[in-house]
Parts: sequence; C-alpha cells; structure tokens
Amino acid sequence: MTALLLPALLALCVLSALHARVNVYDAFVRGAGEGLRTLVSIAPYLAAVFTAVSLLRTTGLMDAAQALLAPLLARAGLPAECASVLLLRPLSASAAMGAAAELMAVCGPDSRAARLTCVVCGASETVFFTGSLYLGAAGVRRSRYAVPAALAAYLAGVLAAAQLV
Amino acid sequence: MGMNGIFCALLLCGVVYAAATGQADAAQRALLSGGEEAVGLCLSLAGAYAFFGGVMGLMRESGLASGLARLLHRPMRLLLRFAPGEEAALADICMNLAADMLGMGNASTPAGLRAMRAMADAQPQPGHASGAMLLFLVLNTTSVQLIPTTMIGLRAQAGAAQPADIVLPTLLSSAVSCACGVLLCRLMEAREGARA
Repeated sequence: MTALLLPALLALCVLSALHARVNVYDAFVRGAGEGLRTLVSIAPYLAAVFTAVSLLRTTGLMDAAQALLAPLLARAGLPAECASVLLLRPLSASAAMGAAAELMAVCGPDSRAARLTCVVCGASETVFFTGSLYLGAAGVRRSRYAVPAALAAYLAGVLAAAQLV
Repeated sequence: MGMNGIFCALLLCGVVYAAATGQADAAQRALLSGGEEAVGLCLSLAGAYAFFGGVMGLMRESGLASGLARLLHRPMRLLLRFAPGEEAALADICMNLAADMLGMGNASTPAGLRAMRAMADAQPQPGHASGAMLLFLVLNTTSVQLIPTTMIGLRAQAGAAQPADIVLPTLLSSAVSCACGVLLCRLMEAREGARA
C-alpha cells in the first residue's frame, strides 16, 4: 500500500505543474540539482559523525553506554539501540542521520529499533540549532521558555512514537 | 554550539577507552573509515535526494507549496495571537511552515528568518521575544511532517521492505509533539503573564 505513496505524490506534482503551465522537466531538474547540492554539503558532517560513531562502536564503548541506559529507556518502551540517535537529534540533523544509518546497518532496517529511530528523526527538528539561528536572526536577548518547551515537545513526540511503532 | 562539546567528548572517550582496553589497532581502523562510510552513504542517498529535490522543485514552481501556505493563513492568525505590528510576518510564517511540513527543510529557512525579523521589528523594546515569536519558533522545531523525505531515502538505501511505511507514525508523532509544544507555550506564557 505505502509503495504507492511516492508514485502518487509525483503524479500529483506533475499534474499540478501542468495545470499551472510550468515546464515540468525544468522544474524537476532545478529541484534535483538543489537536492544533490544539499547532499554534497552534508557529506563532511556525516564523515565527522561516522568517525566518532565507528570509533565508539568498534571499541565496544557504544554497547557499554547503551547497556547502562537500557533500563531507563525500557521504561518508556524504547529499545536501548535508539539512545545515540535520540540524544543527537536535537543537536544536529546530519549527526542523527549518520547514527540512524549506522543503526539500520547493525539492527536491520525493518527492526523495531530502526523503524522507531526513523520515525523520531522524521518527526523532529534540530531544536538547539534552529533555536540559536532564529533567535540570533531576530536579535533576541532572552529566549525565555522557548528551548525547554521545544525539548519537552520533542520528548512527547518520542514517547508517542514508542507507542505507535 | 552544543555539537562541538559532544563531538570532542565522544572522540576523547573513544580514544581513552580504546587505549585502556588495548584496542588501539581497532580504533585506528575505525577512525580511518569514517569518511569512506560517509561518502558511501551519500552515494547511495543520491537517488533519493535527486528524486525528492525534483518533487520539491515541482511543488514550489507549480504553486502547491504556496497553496498549502495560504491554507495555513487563517489557523496561524488564530493560533499565534499577533501583537500589533507582528501580523506583517504572517505570509512568511505560513510559507516557512508549509515548506517544513512538505520536507523542504532548506527552502524553509529564509522565510522563517524573515518572519522572525519582521516580528522582532514590531516589538516595543528591542531584544524582546514576544509570545508569537516563541510559539512560531516552537512550531518550527516541532512542525507536523507530511513527507519525511530524508528518512524515506535513508530506509530505501538500507534495504527496508517498505521504505515509506514510516509516513503515518511520523505524521502522528509529529502531531503529538506539535500539540504539546503549543500547549506548553500557552501555559508558560500565561504563567509569566500572571507573574508580571
């Protein structure tokens, strides 16, 4: 059923572009170019994350840390493997992405831990980065309750995901 | 910010742990493999980024994205309760949130920053963050996700049976966090208002 989602999305976009008399080919090519440039721009961030994560993984420190956190996470219905991504997600999108790719390679993409991780990553944002960017742009001196509220909302999303997946 | 400290701590902990447990050799190999893994991942993600980029291009140029943004105008005006002068940011706010919902992450930032500056300009004292500004920021970090593009691509390259099967749980989970964000902002704004 979900296999139809992307073809249907594409068909919808093509039809609406035709309706708006937009050159579909040109619009697609421009967008694809932007997508590929984005990918190139995040490659160095991924390299940094993979360097740290594979160091922690091969030396066994990652497993030790996860075993330590496992009882706490289990109480919220979360597998221990998710810990690294859950902690990285509010800090950096590419870091979380790298850790999620690593997790899928280790646990398998259709394991509960992998699906849950993907849902959490998809449903959330980089709270700290977005916060400093937006507040900085507006010259805000005191962000008051913004960051605690955003983090609490992130946590609520994680707990909801644990029930949904 | 933030990430710098975490990165240093991870690397130093890893190196110290490797030395203490006599795994210098494994650590060395792991350190040299990071870039290769990153480039490998990027190559296998190229298809998804090109496809979703193309779809986003169509959404933007056909007016689908701005159509969704227009749909958001009325609910956002009700939700954000603009102070005088802040409403000038409404169009940019809606464009930003619509782009976020559609997974056009990078395209949404310029409109979001414009909206934030426009609202900041309307403040009586400079440097003050109004309730609408903070709620917009929280909406931005918890935005409802209709198409989690990156994660679908990541699952496809990892060989998932149904890469797009996370769409519904992602939508619901992001809706929960968005609702919580709005609720918390309301509560805290009311509490600070009562204290002042």
